[in-house]
Amino acid sequence: MKDWKAIAKASGLEVDAAQLNRIAEPLEALEAAFRPLANRLTPDVEPATGLRLEADGE
Amino acid sequence: MTIREAADALRARRVSAVELAAAAHARISRLNPQLNAFITVTAEQSLEQARQADAELAAGRDRGPLHGIPVAVKDLFATCGVRTTCGSKIYEDFVPAIDAAVVERLRAAGAVMLGKLSMHEMAYGVTSANPHFGPVRNPWNLTHSPGGSSGGSGAAVAAQLVYAAMGSDTGGSIRVPAAFCGAVGLKPTYGRVSRYGALPLAYSLDHMGPLARSVRDAAMVLNAIAGHDRRDPTSSRHPVVDFIPDDGCSIRRLHIGFPENFYFDQLDPGVESSVRGVFARAQSLGALVKPVRVPDVAALNAVGRVILLAEAAAVAEPHLEHREKFGPDVLTLLDQGRLVPATDYINAQRLRRRMCREFDQLWSQVDCLIAPTTPNTAPRIGDTTVRLGGREEDVRLATTRLVRGINVLGLPALSIPCGLSSGGLPIAIQIIGPAWEEALILRVGAALEDGGVGIPPCPAAEVL
Repeated sequence: MKDWKAIAKASGLEVDAAQLNRIAEPLEALEAAFRPLANRLTPDVEPATGLRLEADGE
Repeated sequence: MTIREAADALRARRVSAVELAAAAHARISRLNPQLNAFITVTAEQSLEQARQADAELAAGRDRGPLHGIPVAVKDLFATCGVRTTCGSKIYEDFVPAIDAAVVERLRAAGAVMLGKLSMHEMAYGVTSANPHFGPVRNPWNLTHSPGGSSGGSGAAVAAQLVYAAMGSDTGGSIRVPAAFCGAVGLKPTYGRVSRYGALPLAYSLDHMGPLARSVRDAAMVLNAIAGHDRRDPTSSRHPVVDFIPDDGCSIRRLHIGFPENFYFDQLDPGVESSVRGVFARAQSLGALVKPVRVPDVAALNAVGRVILLAEAAAVAEPHLEHREKFGPDVLTLLDQGRLVPATDYINAQRLRRRMCREFDQLWSQVDCLIAPTTPNTAPRIGDTTVRLGGREEDVRLATTRLVRGINVLGLPALSIPCGLSSGGLPIAIQIIGPAWEEALILRVGAALEDGGVGIPPCPAAEVL
């Protein structure tokens, strides 16, 4: 699990401890849901966004 | 009165467009001080548009069912010469030199623009308790939120200040206020309605759509705004059909999915019983209700939140040095978004593609899915948590729990009111369909509406 508070501080975010908690706690909860999904991805799965040239458009 | 009834009255000369606009402005003058649904009212301009609409009808030029009908748009749609704030301090003095595509199309259809509707700051939230322009209030109970982010749109439609309103939906922002205010709200398929000229929240999740008094009214607005626009790189060339359901349309032998998992977990009991009643009504109308297991919607929500955090922070990045200009809830979300690594964003978009494929398989089993729009009714203004199924949940996460994933998939979804809680607040279902099947979900909605699913008009709109 990432240390979101440390990441926030390292990014230069200057907020008090209470605000740091408000920022970090939802990210911790989200990561707990997201990380296992991301870890199961295989290389063949491409992102859902990307460059679509005019001729390739729908 | 619905758009169709008003349109008939206009053509029978029982009423003029000027009279409709003047009556709407009289209601706005009377009710908006309490509801706070509008940020800007364009009285003079709308009366001029109404005079023009009358003159055209008198000259035999009929632009269709929206001709002369009073509408308004969420204040994130650019309006040429009219301030467009996005509910934000950042844009409080922004006067665009263009109209958003949706505004252009509504004007071309003859609609009369009454003004700009309030919203959650930057469309990033579900309460519409705007720190810069004041909270929007729910016409069913002024101490409750109208939902958001298109809260002004929901309140204005429910209080009958406008016949229809435009909203945007990034994680439920059309369907939630429609549900909480007892209006109809349609989130079309991603790419169906141009995003050109709408201030973005998250490029790959933003959908533009109407809120209206009835399903057929929402379809009439979709008819006016749908279609390809080369100025929006994600705009689709998928064929546009007539979306308005026929009178007497049927859902006989249609396969309606009843989700066995996720959508009925942790609901307010009043919401659950009301939504279950809709399935009974659908069966009595001849539909075949089929229990189905839906793919992992909780995972879909997590993916949607990662994408939203990153895209919204990217959009707002140039303004984040002016931290004092943001409300605390939005600033917290933007700060979170700046911390999301690029790898997580890309992986969320990869998961999105896989989940779209998984969800596609559902449509081989059923024609559409019906589920509650929200697990709760409108919370009180200022509430930050809600208790559901014995658990305390963050209001924003609870309210978007059943709607957010559909934005990740880009599928069309229609919210229609289906009951009132014991406290007198609206409850709604959402009808979710395959991509580009707006006509189908509108038909299902209209058949249910014709079959008695719905609620009475908001009584407070008469009393306030």
